[in-house]
Amino acid sequence: MAKKIVVDPIPRIEGHLRIEAKVNDSNVIEEAYSSGTMWRGIEVILRGRDPRDAWAFAERICGVCTTVHALASVRCVEDALGIEVPTNARIIRNLMNATQQTQDHLVHFYHLHALDWVDVVSALRADPKMTSDIAQSISSWPKSSVGYFRDLQQRLIGFVESGQLGIFSNGYWGHPAYKLPPEVNLIGVAHYLEALDFQKEIVKIHTIFGGKNPHPNYLVGGMACAIDPDSDTAINIERLAMVKKIIDQTQQFIDQVYIPDLIAIAGFYKDWLYGGGLGNYLSYGDFPETSLDDFKTLLWPRGAILGKDLTTVHDVDPRDAAHVTEEVSHSWYTYSKGDDKGLHPWEGETKPAYSGPKPPFEHLDTDKKYSWLKTPRWKNHPMEVGPLARVLVAYAKGDPMIKDTVGMVLSKLEVGPEALFSTLGRTAARGIECKQTAGFMRHFYEQLVDNIKKGDYRTFNSDRWDPSTWPAECKGFGYSEAPRGSLGHWIHIKEQKIKEYQIVVPSTWNASPRDAKGNSGAYESALKGTPMANPEQPLEIIRTVHSFDPCLACASHVFDMNGREVTSVRIV
Amino acid sequence: MKYNRINVLGLGNILFGDEGFGVEAIRAFEKDGDYPETVQFVDGGTQGLYLLDYIESSDAVMVFDALIPLDFESRVYVYHREELPAFIHRKMSSHQMGLSELLGIAQLHGRMPERFVLIGIPPRSLDLGSGLSGEARELLDEAVAQGRAILQGWLRE
Repeated sequence: MAKKIVVDPIPRIEGHLRIEAKVNDSNVIEEAYSSGTMWRGIEVILRGRDPRDAWAFAERICGVCTTVHALASVRCVEDALGIEVPTNARIIRNLMNATQQTQDHLVHFYHLHALDWVDVVSALRADPKMTSDIAQSISSWPKSSVGYFRDLQQRLIGFVESGQLGIFSNGYWGHPAYKLPPEVNLIGVAHYLEALDFQKEIVKIHTIFGGKNPHPNYLVGGMACAIDPDSDTAINIERLAMVKKIIDQTQQFIDQVYIPDLIAIAGFYKDWLYGGGLGNYLSYGDFPETSLDDFKTLLWPRGAILGKDLTTVHDVDPRDAAHVTEEVSHSWYTYSKGDDKGLHPWEGETKPAYSGPKPPFEHLDTDKKYSWLKTPRWKNHPMEVGPLARVLVAYAKGDPMIKDTVGMVLSKLEVGPEALFSTLGRTAARGIECKQTAGFMRHFYEQLVDNIKKGDYRTFNSDRWDPSTWPAECKGFGYSEAPRGSLGHWIHIKEQKIKEYQIVVPSTWNASPRDAKGNSGAYESALKGTPMANPEQPLEIIRTVHSFDPCLACASHVFDMNGREVTSVRIV
Repeated sequence: MKYNRINVLGLGNILFGDEGFGVEAIRAFEKDGDYPETVQFVDGGTQGLYLLDYIESSDAVMVFDALIPLDFESRVYVYHREELPAFIHRKMSSHQMGLSELLGIAQLHGRMPERFVLIGIPPRSLDLGSGLSGEARELLDEAVAQGRAILQGWLRE
């Protein structure tokens, strides 16, 4: 008899992402369904507003990904109005975006995902001397003495024994799917704490260029920051020196902590190569060296890979109605011309029509509509987006830096490129990419300094700021590669106001429900075939879903005084 | 003055009705008074981990947020440091990082500010794009007044 497992992380507001998995008698997942259980109707909020203000609303739809939405939003408005931003603005945006990626990946790995592989409770049994030996054998990172690990372990024991904090509660500690020796677990916990501290430094770059944090300023036509090497209040020599220092520290942390940890941890899980899924990968590309339309200069290349075939990278054009579409045959919306007809976002419709069960409920009727996420497809194919997609597209296109880092990681793990098509491959790709984006931070920093040295201080193009200079009607597309994958904003401006606005976010690609033809989305496909040690503790499901870095608990935040568990897991 | 750095943080999402209470509260708080430079008002949105530094680097922190109290009466709730739960739950998404996680981490790091207070109201409406509900708007002044009294106490210490 097939059993059904439901993983449903429910904060107080309606919940966000819900996975239903059917396992067979051998506890192997046969089918999985992914449902977004909260409606986010930013498109409706933006209608009728001034396009120049859209970014400030867009950056609030997601609590953490503020800058990436702001960036895609100003880009789509600039595209519609035909605005080229000054060189400094392009560079600063790239630098801020690279900063965001790097910080986000680091936080995801250590704070969210590492504990799917690292058993905190096992770390309490580690021998500090052996821990120190292992740490020193894999990295030259200075915090690796016996005393350092002993102190940390004592602090950890104190916290666990005090019992008051319930710290690291809700973990499946001791689960048979954990494979690391106690000493590697202790290294993992140490770096979990160090990374939490370190990530605070990285984002100071946002404050320097974005004026304020945590919601930095963007501007249609450029950036709002002034550059003047001699001024106290503008971007000056002193602030640039601070940026450089942060970049130095970031690269050191990634090279000496993140990458060695990734390799050390992955080495113990080489036989856990589940979770590959679709094998279709999409990247819009990002980090333009010139104009956004000049795809050849994107440091992260654009392209699509189908069926794990790395010999062919397909051209992608998100403006083309045959390329990017969204249908709603399994989503709680209605389309005027039929729910199974894919609509390009410029023709997109957002008419909610909930037909699911009344919460709280046991099951979704997955034969019918079962998600608030629409179903985006590229040329009718379900696609995976995110770090693995970008790394594979860059790898298949022969990007030398990516080939180097991928080669280094694979050779240290003694596995071939096929190992990348897995949950662990996705996790490794995030680390590989983080090293890459930290390199981009340096690259754009140097570019900015060179440009300023030439005497170019311009950050804003005001030619089209005044709405009277705009065409009566126009459409634009803005893209970005967010930490979680390809992000697109499509705008339709009429009579100086937003007529329609559509956003297709990365997690909609990855967490999409089935399409009209019954093809699974990326999460659904990745979970199929995964054996579970204990279905009552679905660590394997969480591991794979986490590897995608889901963005589905966005934008809600109510403090729970009861300290209630948020991930409810039950077998039905 | 005892505290060199006091952060007044507003949390929540202004797109979802009373979810934006915290942010609206600190906007009103800041607008309505003259404060020394040691007091910083921060629109924290729903930033999660990004906000850790605003907690760990301060001597005193006041947070405004929508909250779900045990009895859920329509009034202003004020909780002090020792009354607040601190825990680190495993999450599906890094976006789920809440105040309790931040407190848990700050405690684990040994960097809890000396003073910490949470002021909030239970949300009535979480509808998209609607702004604060009438009820939340009525409680906003009182919440800010309570916050101001606490802040003045801190400044006198």
